Amino acid sequence: MRPLDSRGPDLRAAPAPAALETTRPTAVLIAVVVLSAVLAAVGTRVGMPAGTIGGAATAGLVTGLSVLLGYVMGRRHGAYPGRIHQLMIRIAEELAQYRAFTRLLRDQGTRITETTGDAARMIVTGLCDMDAKVALVVARIEADLPGPAGDPLQRMAVAIGDAVVDMVGQVQFQDITRQQLAFLSRLSHVVDAHMIDLAGQLGDPRSLDRGGDLWSLDRVAKFKGMFAQALADCVMTSQRDDHHVASGLDRKEPVAPKIELF
Amino acid sequence: MSSTIFIVDDSATILMSMEVILTKAGFVVAKAASGEEAVSRLQAGLKPGLIITDIHMQTMSGIDLIRKVRTMPGLQFVPILVVTTESQQSKRDEARAAKATGWLVKPVQPTDLMRVVKQILPNG
Repeated sequence: MRPLDSRGPDLRAAPAPAALETTRPTAVLIAVVVLSAVLAAVGTRVGMPAGTIGGAATAGLVTGLSVLLGYVMGRRHGAYPGRIHQLMIRIAEELAQYRAFTRLLRDQGTRITETTGDAARMIVTGLCDMDAKVALVVARIEADLPGPAGDPLQRMAVAIGDAVVDMVGQVQFQDITRQQLAFLSRLSHVVDAHMIDLAGQLGDPRSLDRGGDLWSLDRVAKFKGMFAQALADCVMTSQRDDHHVASGLDRKEPVAPKIELF
Repeated sequence: MSSTIFIVDDSATILMSMEVILTKAGFVVAKAASGEEAVSRLQAGLKPGLIITDIHMQTMSGIDLIRKVRTMPGLQFVPILVVTTESQQSKRDEARAAKATGWLVKPVQPTDLMRVVKQILPNG
């Protein structure tokens, strides 16, 4: 893949050479028209039957005039074939290069997962240490203040221990965040595949080699398909609700019980 | 003797936090970070009183793990709880069809987890 700053000619900074674009095709077309006219005249004067040189020349004359007319009208509306071609190449290249951005997003997601994972494990370890110390305090109270005298202190220590366990349970947020980031990563792969597909359709031959580990292009060839793919990849109710909003649907996922014994 | 609870999850954070919660409640905890690892530990002779598994794991999903466990000698009736972020009813139905025992959506409060575990393992 080419680096991001290698984008080919910048059309804004260096516009296509106007004189070359204006002169060359026009001159060629005029030449074709003139040649056709001459051939038509010669064909008629030497008495050749219609359908041979004269007929062919007349057809050439008509075609040439049509092309010339179309070209002039296209120019009036700002359609420059050379510039359009360059623009298509540039768009194809940039579409293909979007992979660099989506990869950057994925890498950042991976870093967030790693960082929050490390932090979550440190928090759990710290909470375990706290819980072990609370257990020591409870044992000490039992030893030093047996009977009703130690009960209030014991209750306090046990309450602290319970709060510590609750906090350990809250650390599950990290797994949920990890899965949300994994969902974003899968979405970015879908976008990647679509960009590469579009680049290929615009004629970027290298896009054919860029499929690599991407998902099948057939699956994401259309936006509708891409969106359906995104919905199928959702794992959480909130993700499906977000998908409905993005789709413009006034719909909420049914909420199933959080705990169910079969 | 306390029952062994076997936790299967590809999240190190979940493995760690559940281990703390269940150990504090007096259970012996065994852990596996993938479905494949879980299967090999069970094949090696681990006999848990309860299996708690995630659904979305690399290569072998939790549903596939349940199906596999149900074919293993001596494990056809071991309770299996699914603890997952997945909320889709069709997945829940799949787990039920695979003969899971129950379904809990993450995040699970420790008190809720212990209530369900004690319901399944009253003598645990």
